[in-house]
Amino acid sequence: MSEPLSGECRDLYGLILVAKRDQAVAMLLEDVERSGFTDMFSRLLEPVLNEIGENWMAERISLAQGYVAGKVAEEVLLASAARGEKPPAAGKGPVVLCCIEDDYHALGRKLVGIFLRASGWDVTDLGNDVCAPELVDKAVATGARIVGASAMMLSTAVNIHSVREELDRRGLSGRIQLAVGGAVFRLRPELVEEVGGDGTAPSALQAPALFDRLLARSLSLFPEEPA
Amino acid sequence: MTSAQRVMAAITGDKADRRPFTLTLSLYGAALTGCPLPVYHADPAKYLEGQLAVRDAVGPDILFSPFVLPLEGRAFGCTLADQQTGPPNVRKPAFRSIEELLDHPQPRVDADPGLAYLVESVRLMAQALDDEAPVAGILTAPTDLAAMILGLEPWLEALLFDPDMARRVLEITGAHFRTMSAAMMEAGTACIVTPIMFCNPRIINPELARTTVLPALREAFAAAPGPVVFHHGGNPLSQYLGLFKDVPNVLGFVLDERDSFIEARQALGPEHLLMGGLSGPHMSARKPQDIRLRVKQVLDDRREDARFILASSHADVPLDTPLENLLAVRDAVREHV
Repeated sequence: MSEPLSGECRDLYGLILVAKRDQAVAMLLEDVERSGFTDMFSRLLEPVLNEIGENWMAERISLAQGYVAGKVAEEVLLASAARGEKPPAAGKGPVVLCCIEDDYHALGRKLVGIFLRASGWDVTDLGNDVCAPELVDKAVATGARIVGASAMMLSTAVNIHSVREELDRRGLSGRIQLAVGGAVFRLRPELVEEVGGDGTAPSALQAPALFDRLLARSLSLFPEEPA
Repeated sequence: MTSAQRVMAAITGDKADRRPFTLTLSLYGAALTGCPLPVYHADPAKYLEGQLAVRDAVGPDILFSPFVLPLEGRAFGCTLADQQTGPPNVRKPAFRSIEELLDHPQPRVDADPGLAYLVESVRLMAQALDDEAPVAGILTAPTDLAAMILGLEPWLEALLFDPDMARRVLEITGAHFRTMSAAMMEAGTACIVTPIMFCNPRIINPELARTTVLPALREAFAAAPGPVVFHHGGNPLSQYLGLFKDVPNVLGFVLDERDSFIEARQALGPEHLLMGGLSGPHMSARKPQDIRLRVKQVLDDRREDARFILASSHADVPLDTPLENLLAVRDAVREHV
């Protein structure tokens, strides 16, 4: 359980729940003007996103409300990046995301990308209908320790197994962790193992915590070599 | 009793010789006949052949029209991508903006090969089955069709931030629903089954559902020339049924496997038909003995509920499901006392 929200956090949370996106963004940017991005992030945005994530996971709020949270976070991050500021936890490392071959359901993947960026990950999003070699090539090229593959339906989720096969074939399993997600994994959690996934998250807002765990696992198996 | 009589007994709440059951085996007909999916999803005669094979092999009490919702999207201009193990998927939405949609003419059933395939499949099935078993026609709900033809994100943007524009979109998709439901009814379908995601409070806020989406669904369903079955669409529904119980012309609800039928009855009262109990996408991975146990548990739970049909929920039963899994359902239903 997260800490009880402060009054200003509750105000922000309320604006997001009723889809007052512009007011929520304005509130956050005004706060940035007063106290800087790092303070705003840790005092306001982060706790509110955590609260929304918990309630989304507990199915107390809707996908649409999670979407508004994502768009608010995205707009604030873009505005802050334009000022040359980065999230406080920036520098977690590169990750690569995609919807797997034959899958075209982009929304969940986009939200995952937004929340990962807000948490300091350097996200490369390859888009829809990506085959396993392309995903693994990009992970190798960027030095990503984690790839994320998304699928909404059972018929496309099974294609994620080709990523596991590609990682195995190149001897990269363990070093590169495979995060999987999409509606069908909530319905059939056993699919995570069936397609060779290393983990999943119940909602886009829980993706940063999953990626933190997978990075730790990768580093424990294959520690960084000293430069 | 015939399947049709058995299903009718469930609708009217009368006793039948046994509990009716159905599984969404739209896709599975292709597995039984070995028909390539692109042919199966384009040729009504091949679809009929597959469904007759389903009837002969499994014997469900209700058969379904093709479960290929993207064909309705294609009629508006969506680009589809074939899949090896399922129906085609929407690769690209039809419109880049809502304004484009507003300027687009309604697709005509007789002029679009995909829509004509859906309707003609119903016609051939109804003729072949000759009142022995009802055919249920599957159609995209107006609110979900909007997401398909515009894309999920633009549709959410409209629902959340431009409700007047969202209502205009729903007028168009609602008109399509009325046209298609009329065509399917004329062809011989007994009812329309429509999976609905974008009215479920797990997808959109209840307030949005009440103010923007539900009025459009009410209008579309009221104008359908036959009964509509409200399918849960992929999310649990029983806890939200209070929102939907007064939608006109709704014969019943197909619930998620995770739903509670007791909760559903508390919300709806005794009149509506309830369907569900088995998750379609789980059917390939479960063992026959587990399926039999599940069926028994569901039927025991619904023993006193005459208006219940055991049915698969969620999406179609997967193509690679062992036939013995489906027979386990059939046998467990037949043996249940």
